[in-house]
Amino acid sequence: MLDAEDIKVATFHSHYGAMMFHKRIGGDSEMRPVPRALSSSCGTAVFFTLPFDEKWTDENTEAVYEKDGNSWRVIWKR
Amino acid sequence: MKIEDKQKLGITGILIGIAAVVLVALGNPKNMGFCIACFIRDTAGALHLHTAPIVEYVRPEIIGIILGSFAISVIGKDFRPKGGSSPVLRFVIGFIVMIGALVFLGCPLRMVLRLGGGDLNAFVGLLGFIAGIAIGCVFLSNGFTLGKAERQSAVEGIALPFATVLLFVCFLAFPSLFLFSETGPGSMRAPVAAALLAGLIVGVAAERTRLCMAGGIRDIFLVRDYTLIIGFIGIFVASLIGNIITGNFSIGFEGQPVAHSKHLWNFLGMVAVGLGSVMLGGCPLRQLILAGEGSSDSAMAVLGMLTGAAFAHNFSLASAANEGPGINGKVALIVGIIILIAIASIVTMKERRKA
Repeated sequence: MLDAEDIKVATFHSHYGAMMFHKRIGGDSEMRPVPRALSSSCGTAVFFTLPFDEKWTDENTEAVYEKDGNSWRVIWKR
Repeated sequence: MKIEDKQKLGITGILIGIAAVVLVALGNPKNMGFCIACFIRDTAGALHLHTAPIVEYVRPEIIGIILGSFAISVIGKDFRPKGGSSPVLRFVIGFIVMIGALVFLGCPLRMVLRLGGGDLNAFVGLLGFIAGIAIGCVFLSNGFTLGKAERQSAVEGIALPFATVLLFVCFLAFPSLFLFSETGPGSMRAPVAAALLAGLIVGVAAERTRLCMAGGIRDIFLVRDYTLIIGFIGIFVASLIGNIITGNFSIGFEGQPVAHSKHLWNFLGMVAVGLGSVMLGGCPLRQLILAGEGSSDSAMAVLGMLTGAAFAHNFSLASAANEGPGINGKVALIVGIIILIAIASIVTMKERRKA
């Protein structure tokens, strides 16, 4: 899944935030470390391919990015 | 991209392992090419914050790590002054992490270097470290967080790197201001230029790769990811080979350099370090790196470690080499672990209630 063209990644203020987001998406998402290109911090991110839905977010969600060639583009930010 | 990250971490680990072996060859104590806890403790001694005569020296490695991280984060646009995430709790946790490390006699980085030197007491420490991280992961998975860090002014982010520069300038220009050990580990020093350079290299490499002794094990528990652990393995392999080549490898429990064989206390010391590191979001090395990147939260953890080191020697909490901890150290460590678990439990319960 991590190589998918339409991959998106959400970043969080806490590991628990990532767990809750992952749970709300249901299937087809993975918890992984935040990509280095997005952050020098070492928290947990959630990778997913479904179209992004704001109702998955909560106060612990920091931002959501989608793949844009070799880089990441912000599609949602708190 | 994944493979690339692992390769970079492997190279960084090997670089740190080699640098550590070289620093020992140039004069640092055995199995102590780097030790964040010991070197912050030596620096506390040099600054008259404690007066244990055998552990006093302004370690240029620490200065190099903070400034290396600061410089590369400014160049790489990672420098982001931020903070406000439970600063006092971070100070307290940093303090307790230091007590745990000085009961064991080393931070997680030195634990790996001790393993590479054949010191089996460090294996007992590793088991404690893993146990501490596992406890921390249970709290993280149940909602533990020290809270969101907010953007702060550049002055706040630069404060610790600037203080580090000031310390180094004073160390070079007015050495008589500081205390210097004449015997013991504090008297065993690689030349200043080599120690500073090694610190700078480690600071740069660790900032780029996010290398963290606790993070590697935490990521295995939390998300089954084996990227960060590669750095840990790289340090072990390079120091093992380096120690064999330089004749510093000696396998066993007894007679290991700056170590003791009180297994329970080696284990519990590293439980405190593992749990505290997960609560802080990184091991003592990582706290220096994050402080260099402008995190005033990590700067608070570093100041907590500095203060903890002073208390550890002023109140006889630190272990003595070959002998282990005295009663003060044992009581302080147990109380410290209880405080860590109390903080983690209370914060986790509050977060759960909010959710």
